Amino acid sequence: MPGEASKAAAIIGAAEANDIGYPQTPKSSLTLHIEAINNVCEMTGIPIAAIDGIFSAGWSPQIAEYLGLHPKYIDTTAVGGCSFEMHVHHALAAIHAGVINVALVTHGEMGFSQRFTQGKGTGRPGGAGDPWDPGTQHTMAYGLGGAPTSYSHALNRHMARYGTTQEDFAEIAVVTREWATLNPRAVMYRKAGEGDLPPLEKGEWGGGKRGHTFGGPITVDTVMNSRPISWPIKLLDVCLVTDHGGAVLITGPELARTSKTPPVWIAGAGESISHWNMLEMGEFTKTSAGRSAAAAYKMAGMGPEDMEMAMIYDSFTVTAGITAEMLGLAPEGEGFRLWKDRHAAPGGRLPINTNGGGLSFNHSGMYGMQLLVEAYRQLSGTAEDGGFSGDPGKQTSARSCVVNGTGGSLSTTGTLVLVSDD
Amino acid sequence: MADYTKPIPSPDPVSQPFWDGAKEGKLMLPRCDDCNRVHWYPRVICPFCHSMNIEWVEATGRGTIHTFAVQHNKGLVARGWGDEVPYVTAYIDLAEGDRMLTVLKGVDPNDPESIQIGGAVQIEFEEASDDVHIPFWRPV
Repeated sequence: MPGEASKAAAIIGAAEANDIGYPQTPKSSLTLHIEAINNVCEMTGIPIAAIDGIFSAGWSPQIAEYLGLHPKYIDTTAVGGCSFEMHVHHALAAIHAGVINVALVTHGEMGFSQRFTQGKGTGRPGGAGDPWDPGTQHTMAYGLGGAPTSYSHALNRHMARYGTTQEDFAEIAVVTREWATLNPRAVMYRKAGEGDLPPLEKGEWGGGKRGHTFGGPITVDTVMNSRPISWPIKLLDVCLVTDHGGAVLITGPELARTSKTPPVWIAGAGESISHWNMLEMGEFTKTSAGRSAAAAYKMAGMGPEDMEMAMIYDSFTVTAGITAEMLGLAPEGEGFRLWKDRHAAPGGRLPINTNGGGLSFNHSGMYGMQLLVEAYRQLSGTAEDGGFSGDPGKQTSARSCVVNGTGGSLSTTGTLVLVSDD
Repeated sequence: MADYTKPIPSPDPVSQPFWDGAKEGKLMLPRCDDCNRVHWYPRVICPFCHSMNIEWVEATGRGTIHTFAVQHNKGLVARGWGDEVPYVTAYIDLAEGDRMLTVLKGVDPNDPESIQIGGAVQIEFEEASDDVHIPFWRPV
């Protein structure tokens, strides 16, 4: 039996900003938000002025001010890349409760281009936050910094506990890249057989730091031979750092029926947290996605066996592998097999990360919005439309999708069960 | 000591007994007077039973490696650690319970296969400043 809130609301449209990836001309994070919002409102026919609830990872007051809106519901939950899946959960609840009619979930992040603006004007705050914060005080001495420096500990633990190997996880990167070669919007898009792109000129894209070629198909050897970042994590186990803007609109059933675009129903939603600082993580091979997925499946009255595709946050290959286990799509310790045995690949029984993933499509720092946009495109049958998001991607036949965002250091999770319109 | 160039933590009133112990080479841990469980990091409330009766006890300074990683990327590690790469970070399961982050001493970062998850380790302290001695761990 589905829960009371199941299908009380639908995602009625999803769009991206005009330039994503590595744009030639950087745009501000706010501009990326606004382009996506304008695009999603045009595609659905819902005017911007009709938005009465704003959900974003920290930006909601600025978005409201910039658009001259006076929303009745303001949610600025920012708990890492899964924030956007949680926003959908919260929007579902707010619409179900009758508080609002049109929810906007929005994202804009110049993950790549911020290197051009850092240090200009007031710049970003440079401090490490409150030195008395216990997470800071008891970890700062050991130099952990960027996300790869933490996530590597989980991969090593998984290998020790289950006997998995670095090669097993490399399969995830290989198959995900295969999807990217089918999606012209993907940063790593390049068809097999096409020659190498010319190396980037020095001075272009970050002072020549990226003076190498990339894109196109890869093999397990390519991943294994990429440079070590935080052993056992190597460069090609790590997601991209790009620009992205995206927005989705969520309404109740009545408005959903009047949209120019097909609704994709929110059948189930759940969220959870196991820790914030990795210091407080319990078992390093499990995340709170076990709990958030149980809640989402329960609300939907569906289970993992009912899912025809999955969008799984892949900040790292280990994130995707462990999460597939937590979502019940594979036995514990065997998540990687979905990719290695090609079930997750184009033509497989359970397509996963059909846009090319955070690993090879786009990852702006927070990737939860990219998951939502692709899930909408697939389940609404619009993945091959150029439309408001530029080039077409690869359409699958899936009618149901489990979407799972992961934030922090394998800390926070939001799970959605989305289904196509009947 | 004056040449310690890596980040030095700032003790606060809640954690002060830990840092006082560190200066004397002792591992002091917070323990709940009601449920008797040790927790880390230090809190004013027990995270297991929510009692506020917290006492400090001297621990054995022994533990095992829960998991570890080798940090290779200068640009990703925190200020001061860039010149140390490659180095090994690890989470240590304390003999008394709960877990600490550390940098492992006495291991070869270029041979991670030689480091054992589950292997026994012992704490030691490095004098980073007059007030702060930082705990590190080393395989026994």
